[in-house]
Amino acid sequence: MGVISRLFGKAAPNPETGGDGELFDEAFLARLELLQVVARRVFRGRTRAERKSRKVGSGLEFADHREYSAGDDIRNLDWNVLMRLGQTLIRLYEEDEDLPIRIAVDVSASMCSRGGRKLRYAQQVAAALAYVGLANLDRVGITCMSGQIHSSLPAVRGKGRIFRVFDFLKASERGGPTDLRAACKRIAAESAQPGLTVVISDFYDLDGAFDGLNLLRFRKHEPIAIQVLDPVECRPEMTGLRGDVRLIDCEGEGETDVTITPATLKAYSAAHERFCDALAQACRSRGVPYFRAEIDVPFDELVLRMFRLGGLLR
Amino acid sequence: MNLAGWSATAVATLFAGGAAVITALYLLKMRRRALEVPFAALWQRVTRESDARRIWRRLRRLISWLVQLLILAAIALALGDPRPDVWLREPATVAIVVDLSASMGGPSEGAGPAASDEGAEDAEDPTDGEARRSRLDAALARARAEIAALGPSDRALVIAAGPEVSVLSALGRDHSALLRGLDGLAPTPGEADLGRALALARNAVDGQPGPRILLLTDGAVDDAGAKAVQTCAEGPLPCSVARFQGPAANLAITAFAARRYPQDREKVEVLAEIVNLGDAEASVILEVQADGLGIGRREVTLGPGESSRQILGELDAARARLEARLLAPEGSAAGHLGPAEDDLAFAVIPQLRPLEVALATDGTNLFVEAALLTLDDHVHLSGVPIAEANADHPVIAAADVVFYDPGANPLPSPLPSKDMVLFDPWRFEGSPSPIAKVRDVRRPFLTEQLKDHPILEHVVVKDINIRRGTILEAAPGDEVLIRSLGEPIAVVRRGTSGSVVAFGFDLRESDMPLRTAFPVLISNLIDDFERATPGFVAAIPVGARRPIAVAELGLATPGLTEVEVFGPEPGASTTAPVQEGVIRVRATKPGILRLRAVDGPNPGAEVSLAVNQASAAASDLHDRLGDLPAAAAVEEAPSPAPLSQGPLWSLLVLLAAGIVAIEWASYHRRWTV
Repeated sequence: MGVISRLFGKAAPNPETGGDGELFDEAFLARLELLQVVARRVFRGRTRAERKSRKVGSGLEFADHREYSAGDDIRNLDWNVLMRLGQTLIRLYEEDEDLPIRIAVDVSASMCSRGGRKLRYAQQVAAALAYVGLANLDRVGITCMSGQIHSSLPAVRGKGRIFRVFDFLKASERGGPTDLRAACKRIAAESAQPGLTVVISDFYDLDGAFDGLNLLRFRKHEPIAIQVLDPVECRPEMTGLRGDVRLIDCEGEGETDVTITPATLKAYSAAHERFCDALAQACRSRGVPYFRAEIDVPFDELVLRMFRLGGLLR
Repeated sequence: MNLAGWSATAVATLFAGGAAVITALYLLKMRRRALEVPFAALWQRVTRESDARRIWRRLRRLISWLVQLLILAAIALALGDPRPDVWLREPATVAIVVDLSASMGGPSEGAGPAASDEGAEDAEDPTDGEARRSRLDAALARARAEIAALGPSDRALVIAAGPEVSVLSALGRDHSALLRGLDGLAPTPGEADLGRALALARNAVDGQPGPRILLLTDGAVDDAGAKAVQTCAEGPLPCSVARFQGPAANLAITAFAARRYPQDREKVEVLAEIVNLGDAEASVILEVQADGLGIGRREVTLGPGESSRQILGELDAARARLEARLLAPEGSAAGHLGPAEDDLAFAVIPQLRPLEVALATDGTNLFVEAALLTLDDHVHLSGVPIAEANADHPVIAAADVVFYDPGANPLPSPLPSKDMVLFDPWRFEGSPSPIAKVRDVRRPFLTEQLKDHPILEHVVVKDINIRRGTILEAAPGDEVLIRSLGEPIAVVRRGTSGSVVAFGFDLRESDMPLRTAFPVLISNLIDDFERATPGFVAAIPVGARRPIAVAELGLATPGLTEVEVFGPEPGASTTAPVQEGVIRVRATKPGILRLRAVDGPNPGAEVSLAVNQASAAASDLHDRLGDLPAAAAVEEAPSPAPLSQGPLWSLLVLLAAGIVAIEWASYHRRWTV
């Protein structure tokens, strides 16, 4: 069974391909292993890993000397200095630690519209990023959220935990209204250690779309926004929709009677574009990496090319 | 308006019930299609309406409701089958006969029974020739009013009565076809053949429901036309006559011809006959033009009904075609000239062919031959021995004029029946001379001569010595040129077959040939015969086909079987067969016809022929119909039928369908929802 099957099972067909395509095959995983999640700041890790940290410890790269004190490991004593100068100095090395990565996946009802294609795409992106992190011995945690935290996978480490990540994503509860501000506040509060926080959502929250990211930033996290969009929802004129309809919010926030005309659809497309541009502008102005992921863009292209070009991976 | 279908109560009930249902349906809220969207907040922001839009949306709903009620009203009314009162009368079949004679081009005074419409103000100034409304215009306006008044079951046909009768539009109900037949009508030169037109109208409507004949005329018809109208008015079928009269002042050219002077081919003499057909004295200028250049002009004043023949002599004949026009004297209006068609006439200047002269003599007198040879530019002289010069001799038969100078020989018998000059015809008894002898006389003295006679112009015969002569017997109508002591010795006798000039003495037995007056006398004789020669057909009148001898036109007849006729309009051409040397030509417009020989000895040879109206009767604008039976009088122009095409209910259904279509189209374009 392929990884995609492990992740979604046969009950979750690929809406684009019509079945379980090998989008997440072994070759793709092999390529993911070569990638590494890039953090612009240096975070303090918990365990030894492959990332530099501010700690001086048992790494390989020389950092400094200090006076010997009782209890120090004499293996770190600099014998050359002792013999030459008669001083007992301990050699200090830089400590390599892991990177705490928290991936927050929006599972609100808006992500589940049109057969849940956006959510599936978001889960694929989350799984791919998690695999990259796990492959680099980073600690990766997953949080499924909407207006609240549905479930959280505590930070795990090691490539072997990837199937746990898959199972978590598959079993996560879905639905509920989008409230990114509340969800991010909760994530920030629950995170004992700040780190890289990737928020994967459609950001269909007129009031709090950026507030949540900003809140994470204030809590010393490094937020990364990945906006997953369905082209049909962005540009509804493609549907040829006409006539008198009652628009029902899939998140249950009221109904609106409208007469849909080509002009209305065009106006919605323009408003949607302005909304996305405003979010992207807000992210850029505060140094938050922002990626727009339209689900008609092949998933591997997004991960292997666009994320690398955007500096999320290397 | 009457309802022929459902009663008014049923229609009102249907409308009330339907309106209630429509109103109830509009009061019910429309169930909308539910559509789940992921970002309803953004949709709400986009579709948020302004107050004006909200009011317009409610107004559109109200308009839509009213439109539905309108559709219902149209359908309910259609079920009632409404019909105007005029539709309920019996169907009628009307034959409208329009007089297209030349007099219909005369001015209309607007006082006629049908001239009370829009053209009345145009007729206030009868002197304004361009803006003046003609009688035909008034007649056509009446014809259009009659057609507009036809009900849906009425039928009509329009007949044009010109020199020839034609049906402008066949019997039918289609108003547009009937009106189309009236377009482009114009007066035709000549008289209208009302007899045939009314007979055709009678045959067309007889046996049809509600037959009626309506004649639109000005009453200026010929006797045959007046009789036909009288017969129609007194006939079994209703026949009414609408007269469109107006001022009768008119001056017309009724004859126009030109001929060359035999002795001066470059000059022509023009005859024009002008008639004042009006009721007052009128002055007019006759102008003769050749290819647009005026070559003669004369002012004439004529009393009422007066006719005047004007001869303009010594005109330049450089052109072959002449036009005569009547113009108003300077400073006066052209209103008294009447229709313009009869103020213009055409003439063709005949080509002067040489006069064929035969001289029958014994050869002992060369004075006559010498005098004739001096005229060789327009005389073709042939000599014939006197003994053979009877009527059967081919030269004598082909000659236009025969000079008999028998000398000591008797005159041959029989003499030809054509122009002749006889010298000493009674030397022998039993002469075939048409002018009888009284007695012989010795040494006659020429004592008197007819000085004003053209034959003796510039000729003095006194003191001529003559050894022997013959006193001739002058019959009534003869002209005695010369007398001897009061008795005729030279006589001219005019006849239908030719003129005979007889001199009762022999030239050999006088000294007359030695006088300077002798060649002048011979020349005067030739000139007189040429002037009297009818020969050329100057012009033909418009109208029915006229037989014309092609020989008189100057076309060689042997072997000629077909003549191509061009004109008068540019580009118009017909082919006329030649039968026994005669063609039949029909001209409908004044102008110049060109006749070209298709075959014969000179294929391609062309001659011209003038066509003129040349009819005082056709130019007379007076009403000559007189009193007609009271039943023939017509009333004012009828009012147009409110709706003439099809039943009204079908229009209502069409209206409802149209509104539904507009509603459907606007609904699907989101204009009315």
